[in-house]
Amino acid sequence: MTVARLQLMAGVVLAAALIAPLVPLAIWSFAHGWRFPDLMPRQYSLAAWTFALSAQSGVLSSLWTTFAIAGATTVVAAVIGLPAGRALGLYDFPGKRIVLLLLIAPALVPAIAIAPGLHAVFLHLGLSASWTGVVLAHLIPVIPYMTLILAAAFARFDPVHEDQARSLGARPWQVFRHITLPMIGPSLLIGSLFAFLVSWSQYLLTLVIGGGKVQTLPLTLYSFAAAGRNDITGAIALIYILPGVVVLIFTARRITGRHPSLARGLAP
Amino acid sequence: MSRRTRPLLLLAPALVLLGGLFFAGLGLGLVRSFRYMPALGLDTPDLAAYAAILQSGTFLASLGLSLWIAAASTVLASILALGTALLLRETFPGRALIGFLVQLNLTIPHVVGAIGILYLVSQSGSFARLAFAAGLVAVPSDFPPLTHDPLAIGIILTYVWKELPFIALILLANLQAIPPGHEAAARSLGAGRWQVLRHVTLPLLMPGLVAASSLVFAFAFGAYEIPLLLGAHAPEALPVATWRGFTAVDLMHRPEAYAMAMIVALVSAVLLALYASFALPRRARP
Amino acid sequence: MLRSLAALLLLTTAAAADTADGQALKAMTWDQIVEEARGGTVNWFMWGGADNINAYVSGYVADRLKSDYDITLNRVPITDAAEIVNLVLTEKEAGVTDAGTVDLIWINGENFRSMKQADLAFCGYTDLFPNNTLVNWDNPAIANDFGVPVDGCEVPWNTVQFAFAHDSATLVDPPRDMAGLLAWIKANPGRFTYPAPPDFTGSVFVRHVFYHAAGGPDALLGPFDQARFDAVAAKTWAILNEIEPFLWREGRTYPTTVTQLNELFANGEVAFTFNYDPAQFGIAVQAGIYPETVRSYGLADGTIGNTNYTLIPFNSPNKAAAMVLQNLLLSGEAQLEKAKAEVWGAAPAIEIGRTSPQVQAGFAAIEAHPSVVPAAELAKAALPELQADWLTAIEAGWTANVGN
Repeated sequence: MTVARLQLMAGVVLAAALIAPLVPLAIWSFAHGWRFPDLMPRQYSLAAWTFALSAQSGVLSSLWTTFAIAGATTVVAAVIGLPAGRALGLYDFPGKRIVLLLLIAPALVPAIAIAPGLHAVFLHLGLSASWTGVVLAHLIPVIPYMTLILAAAFARFDPVHEDQARSLGARPWQVFRHITLPMIGPSLLIGSLFAFLVSWSQYLLTLVIGGGKVQTLPLTLYSFAAAGRNDITGAIALIYILPGVVVLIFTARRITGRHPSLARGLAP
Repeated sequence: MSRRTRPLLLLAPALVLLGGLFFAGLGLGLVRSFRYMPALGLDTPDLAAYAAILQSGTFLASLGLSLWIAAASTVLASILALGTALLLRETFPGRALIGFLVQLNLTIPHVVGAIGILYLVSQSGSFARLAFAAGLVAVPSDFPPLTHDPLAIGIILTYVWKELPFIALILLANLQAIPPGHEAAARSLGAGRWQVLRHVTLPLLMPGLVAASSLVFAFAFGAYEIPLLLGAHAPEALPVATWRGFTAVDLMHRPEAYAMAMIVALVSAVLLALYASFALPRRARP
Repeated sequence: MLRSLAALLLLTTAAAADTADGQALKAMTWDQIVEEARGGTVNWFMWGGADNINAYVSGYVADRLKSDYDITLNRVPITDAAEIVNLVLTEKEAGVTDAGTVDLIWINGENFRSMKQADLAFCGYTDLFPNNTLVNWDNPAIANDFGVPVDGCEVPWNTVQFAFAHDSATLVDPPRDMAGLLAWIKANPGRFTYPAPPDFTGSVFVRHVFYHAAGGPDALLGPFDQARFDAVAAKTWAILNEIEPFLWREGRTYPTTVTQLNELFANGEVAFTFNYDPAQFGIAVQAGIYPETVRSYGLADGTIGNTNYTLIPFNSPNKAAAMVLQNLLLSGEAQLEKAKAEVWGAAPAIEIGRTSPQVQAGFAAIEAHPSVVPAAELAKAALPELQADWLTAIEAGWTANVGN
């Protein structure tokens, strides 16, 4: 009885803490001024939303830019991560630990350590201030997550099924489509979700490599936050988190089961 | 195709791309940190940039602050995440909702979290207003400074808020992989709840916890935009000081900024070694 | 997704209409330049934190540029112009001489000096502009940017003069000169602070104290003088360290940006904020950030004024389009539009007397926002800017002696 009550209390506190920082953002987006010590704004307004959704603010075009870049990064990461994950999950080979270390390193080393050097390299290659450059830069922290999640999936995968299908005359694409994909599908989805989110929330890499010209939502959001427009910041922040929520609901429905779906991709 | 070359072929795209990008960026930074920039007339590599920053009080203060932020955030987030994971393993009303909220938090970008925390805990933020309504404070300065403060509490709060769910989900995945028999056997031998946790569950969770903590420590140590929003004017977090060095218009400051970036990378390398020794099995597939 | 792809294609085709060769442009007539620019794009990097300025640029300016010249304006919002100076510098270092990222920057002061010193600016073309006649280049405050001769390397856009703001409902009679302000700070602990230099606004506040310590700016004008600096700086740091315990949070920490100071002011934590551009006070009141009782004023011993400009980097690939935009920004109509209180409230950088009668009538009809001190009133006691070398010395000195 007391344990159940404790659990419930801990749950309520946890839920409140997870939601709390989003509450002032949401209120601000509808506020016309909101000064200490007012608990709630005295005046409400739709001005911030009207501005954020107008063509002049550039928020919506930033949203599409962010989407396109995160989408492209995810697709490329999947194409590269699938064979790499397969190699790490299915095979044992000399130097595997080294390869694993090399693959994890980019996820651990912060952007500030590599972005300036990378920018200089991209300038020479004509890739700076371009979408291609930004997608390539985003792949650095994204590929490790994608590859490791897929490697875990392939480690639980029995290639005998593929051999059977092949011996029955299935072409490579058919084998992948009908045998491999269904078995690693959930992990591919989780890996893609991670890839999308990591790219979606990049700030410094986009700022440095994109040279300001590739204007993703975090850059737009930051420029209003830095200028103290809390109302517009609130509106953009909500626009910014919405797609992640939608993607999460979508994937959570696709991956049924009792346990939180993201955790499945992270299982050892 | 032999069993030896096939995995390497499969790995080639990932290794070439990551090697090409990541190590080129890091490598060029390393070369420039040795003050080798022929375009500026610097053509004899030396260690002067490192000597300069290591003797600078500002740099050491920044390094210390960033290590404090990363350590405090990682320890707090790990402890709370452990509790969260153990909680989410149980069945109780509202568990599904909390499970969803934990995952939801993972999708929220760090910048958004940092701004939300700022509006929440600053001296004129929502909590200060609640304190005013409760009669605890009369003016904003009565409320403890939690943002732009010397202890970087606002920054740490942001990381804890954001990384707790990340660690918790990894731990939960690990918990689900523990064969149920282990804990039950210990219980049947008379071990209490705490003893089972201490001697059975925790040791099994350790590799996952260390791996996740290394990632969190590296992130909290190296992220730029969060201390930029929530940090005090001095000392600056190391990434902020590094970026300021890069944007200084005097090109002669660049090698020092690159040297700071390399020290950030060095700290990550230590974490990588830690990650490897705990989370990378000697042989992946028995 | 489709829109993004279309935008991507647009970006690549825009590079085809290349007008990177500035020398060739300078040999053309204005009509030829306009013809070259037609159908092109201009990437304008500018501080993006004010929705009304963004709306003016992406609305009024972009619309006119499109309808009159068929040029697409791509406004690139940034937080700090120094980052863009650095970007152009990095490009130059990497040998990118005709395919740079930036076509136009909103800039002045130290950043301009840096660009000019490193030969990063495209210069010597302003005579080609039909609207150049509206600019009074004989005015030293226009012809010099923080003491650095403009030399045709940038085009004036706005003039500003520093002012203080206070809430007249809680502080009826604010101190009107620097000595009075310093006394007020000591008498009202915790109610004043200023952003830590090198923040732009914090830096200009410290310069006002510096002028006060020097007994006025006259002895400080001209090139940097180490001996004179040392003498005045010692007094300045003494004054600032003396008031430090009476500042917000006992001066143990300073706001990092003027935005943070504005936030403190909005919530009544401090009694003053200040800005180079007094129009910002009116904008903040309109947005509901400040109460309507906020008023602004200058100091009896004067406040510092300056001009801000637009500049074309040497490696801009769209120089013709950037020039057409600069000329448009100088026009009487565009200057009038942004001077309107409900649009921006920015003081013009052109001589109103040289504009058409309709534009002059428009300027005469502008009603100032009650929270914004009229530019004419501020101009009665205006102080010049110091040369950029003084600024960097003051900022470095503050960090070492006060803000440590």
